[in-house]
Amino acid sequence: MWKITLAQVRAHAGRLIASCLAIVIAVGFVVATLVLNETASASIARAVGAQYVDTDAVVLPDRTGGPLGPSNDVSTGPSLNELAPRIAEVDGVAAIAADTEAFAQALVPGRSGSQYVTVDSIPDEEALRWMRLSDGALPDAVGEVAVSARVGARVGDTISVTTYPSASPGGPVTEGTPEAVTDEVTVVGVVDLSGDPTAGLRGRFFATPQQVAAWGGADPTQLRVAATDGTDAATLVGALRAVLAEAGSSAIVRTGAEQAAEQVATLTGDNLALATFLLVFGAIAVFVAGLVIANTFAVLLAQRTRELALLRCIGATARQVRRGVLVEAAITGLAASALGVGIGIALAALVSALAAGVESPIPLGGLSVPPYAVATGLAVGTLVTVLSALAPSKAATRVAPLAALRPMDNAPLRSRRGLVRLVLGLGLLLPGLALTALGVAIGGILVALPGGMLSTLGALLLLQRAIPPVVALAGRLIGGLGGVPARLAAGNATRNPRRTAATATALLIGVTLTTALLVGAASTRATVAADLDRSYPTDVIVRSFSEPMPAALAEQLRAVDRVEQATALVRTNATGPDGTPSEVLGIDVAQARSTVRAAQDELPGPGQVTVNTDLAQQWGLAEGDPVTFSTDGSAVELSAHLVDGYDLLMSPEDVLSLDPAAGFGQIWLRLSDDLDAEASAKAIDEITDLASQAVPSIDITGLISVRQAINSILDTLLLVVTGLLGIAVVIALIGVGNTLALSVIERRQENGLMRALGLTRGQLRGLLAWEALLVAGVAAVLGVMAGSFYGLAGTAAILGETGEVILDFPFLQVLAVVVVATGAGVLASVLPARRATRTSPVAAMMT
Amino acid sequence: MSYPAYSAPHPASVSRRPAASPTTSAAVRSLGLTKTYGRGEASVTALAEVDVAFARGAFTAIMGSSGSGKSTLMHCLAGLDTPSSGQVWLGETELTALRDTELTTLRRERIGFVFQAFNLLPVLDARANMVLPMELAGSTPDPAWMQAVIARLGLADRLTHRPDELSGGQQQRVAVARALLPRPDVIFADEPTGNLDSRSGADVLGLLRSSVRETGQTVVMVTHDPIAASYADRVVLLADGRLAGDLSDPTADDVIDALRQLELGGTARSGGF
Repeated sequence: MWKITLAQVRAHAGRLIASCLAIVIAVGFVVATLVLNETASASIARAVGAQYVDTDAVVLPDRTGGPLGPSNDVSTGPSLNELAPRIAEVDGVAAIAADTEAFAQALVPGRSGSQYVTVDSIPDEEALRWMRLSDGALPDAVGEVAVSARVGARVGDTISVTTYPSASPGGPVTEGTPEAVTDEVTVVGVVDLSGDPTAGLRGRFFATPQQVAAWGGADPTQLRVAATDGTDAATLVGALRAVLAEAGSSAIVRTGAEQAAEQVATLTGDNLALATFLLVFGAIAVFVAGLVIANTFAVLLAQRTRELALLRCIGATARQVRRGVLVEAAITGLAASALGVGIGIALAALVSALAAGVESPIPLGGLSVPPYAVATGLAVGTLVTVLSALAPSKAATRVAPLAALRPMDNAPLRSRRGLVRLVLGLGLLLPGLALTALGVAIGGILVALPGGMLSTLGALLLLQRAIPPVVALAGRLIGGLGGVPARLAAGNATRNPRRTAATATALLIGVTLTTALLVGAASTRATVAADLDRSYPTDVIVRSFSEPMPAALAEQLRAVDRVEQATALVRTNATGPDGTPSEVLGIDVAQARSTVRAAQDELPGPGQVTVNTDLAQQWGLAEGDPVTFSTDGSAVELSAHLVDGYDLLMSPEDVLSLDPAAGFGQIWLRLSDDLDAEASAKAIDEITDLASQAVPSIDITGLISVRQAINSILDTLLLVVTGLLGIAVVIALIGVGNTLALSVIERRQENGLMRALGLTRGQLRGLLAWEALLVAGVAAVLGVMAGSFYGLAGTAAILGETGEVILDFPFLQVLAVVVVATGAGVLASVLPARRATRTSPVAAMMT
Repeated sequence: MSYPAYSAPHPASVSRRPAASPTTSAAVRSLGLTKTYGRGEASVTALAEVDVAFARGAFTAIMGSSGSGKSTLMHCLAGLDTPSSGQVWLGETELTALRDTELTTLRRERIGFVFQAFNLLPVLDARANMVLPMELAGSTPDPAWMQAVIARLGLADRLTHRPDELSGGQQQRVAVARALLPRPDVIFADEPTGNLDSRSGADVLGLLRSSVRETGQTVVMVTHDPIAASYADRVVLLADGRLAGDLSDPTADDVIDALRQLELGGTARSGGF
């Protein structure tokens, strides 16, 4: 058997190459996806949590509040400063760094406008320094700073820094103007923050703890702990938790890795969603690859039924033949899978390099090849190849040898096998659809995905029954158009459901996947955009601490290039229902509507005040409850409107009735649409400059940058996904080409007969093209329908838990998919058609 | 099954051959026809310098053992295969000078085919199979003629059946009908009874011959079966790619004798009655 197997391999090298190609590409696809998954996750974690990656344990104060709103320190017990010496004594602690931060306004020579920067302290301990330098050195004395690239300063520049050491934002509002202190500092180094998506938000300074303290950052925001060699992070965290509990502190302890993950989660909103998304795509990749390999290989093996039957005629036992086929499949599968793994890794490296060159916000820095990716690739390729060889090998040996040598009969649908298929198909399809619907309803992708896969498998099994009627219908339509070849084509397509279904399946898989991703991407984009607009409805907020802003400032800011709208809010302090003073703002809703991007229901209606849901809980308020604010001399009662935002908004008249001398406290700005990161950074700089000239103690929040950062993350992900999509389509086309070639070979005699009877070569080519067009067209339309369903369902399931889902259907793109798929199918028929027409009628009929 | 009144008890008892000289009224003829396969040492000569002519309105059989080149000869005469050298004429048209498309067009209009097996397209019913060549040519058969052919071949109740619903004999009859419909110059039949039992075989042969008698159709049949050959007006013998004999109105025994003589190395001829 060995010799025969080897001889067959040598003789059929061409056919083997075709089947290998499908396996290589499919496995490459899977491996590339998994590797990119891992690389992206590792890169994000590395970049965003840069400061925690080398840290073993982090001690943080317990905080409430959103990432961008005021966060309140609600920790109890000793402060971090007091805890530090106790922690230093714990066994296994090698070093502690108390990270402090301050906020400053910096005027960089050569840049218009001052910038609002955060200043981070550089630990004295080397082990806990995480900053990478791209130029110069880290400062070691007061009066020196290292800057991030965003600042735009070079080593040796002198920067004028203004700080308010006696005030800290987010704290209690003080009366009067805080005292400004201006220093001159020298830039001694530039820190490399590449890979951190937040790096573009605002500039960052790095200075010694003494410098940071001088600028107002005395209390540590967190303690980072390095463990001694041999102590593992989890053990250390446990020990620290014990110490803290003993001290009565409610501070939180996490491992460095956990904190890095938290950071990523905070940025992307939901760590689980990101990981799930990538996992889902990986699973789909495996599934599709498996399907296509099975399809292609089964088709190619069916060609060899006669060969195998001949072997049996001359004396090979059924078991020998089956074993030979399976061994051949295993070897082919393993070899091709190994090649596929290599190609997949190479492809991932290429994508990663391209992404780095394009400066994507998530650099796929380097390459992270997890062992499970290699194992999965090999396993999927080999296993699926062997499994798909099982059925044909059994089929070849089940029939009596001589019968198998006769021309192939079409398996009638009413056979027992047909019935089994029907039952199995329905048994997979219906529960699969139910699962998918359930997944959509509860917004759980991990429920919907298996549902999607089951229903796909079921649908594919039922395809044999579903395709002929559809093709017959379509055939009747084209029959009138194309003359005899078209009618013959329609007849051919309906006559052999198995073969037609096999051809259609290959294309269907590719089209369904493409459409699902296109539709899913469009809907995801629309939903995320709406969500972002809701979460960050205002592009830029200019805020002063206590000093009122001049009335003309709003108009001045509006005149800035790329600023579209400006709304000024009056402000005063009033006593709320809990007896403490709160800042209330008055907003002209009519004007504000054109300034905010969405979240119209976040604005107060007449007689209303917007109250944050958490705050409402604290004050014991429900929607619509009356709430009173009072100042010395007047009070106003309003109806509470619960919102996600943090400001207490009411109408300007209500604020003025509380305090007739109320001045402007905030200005909301809307920038032009579709600004890139650089343009919006420039605009924000200009705004900062203008505003700080008018009111030195100004705070600028550029929410637009956050939105842009998140959008670019999404764009990058979708880009990667779309790139990998192209591979899926290529696999599909190979499948189509194979099945078309097989169908041409199966019908050699027929084609020869028709040529003899007077079908010209051109007409024969036309016939094969019509057939390809018919089957490809039907497959494309069905695939687009299925893909749209899965795309919309998938989006709803993934995003459902984050809120309202907007479904967007990219009609033009989907139409393009149908056209391209059908065209590709016809194109795939060209080569087989050439082979068919080149054979002389006689040679064909004598087969 | 309804046949017309005419039925032949035994072929040998009827002798009628249109007396016409081969060249002027030859339906199909060849000159120096040679066909070789392969190259160099592996080359095989299927036909070697064959000059032969087939008369109009005659039923001619080409006979020989396997490997004699009889099928190759028919293929070349029918424009299904191109000879390595030599010329073939169908009436006044030189086939060997035509390109593939012209040959194909010519086949559908002027030549009819009946093959041993796989005669019909499985996807079409009997009626559609019958009119296929004419449809390819873009013409429709004369309704009266078609009715007559269907009646003669007894296919009236089988028109809507697919080939897998017809018996072997019925399939061959559909093939014969298909060949007859366009009233071609020549009908080429390649072992038409090879896959049939003796009774169906006799049916088909009788039909072929009656078409020759009644409508003057020219039929050239390739066969290895002496009984089938005895239905023909003339039998051309081939051996090793060359003409090796010419019998006219032979009986089955005549044919068997001639074949045996061939094997013994001679050629066989017999005169007409």
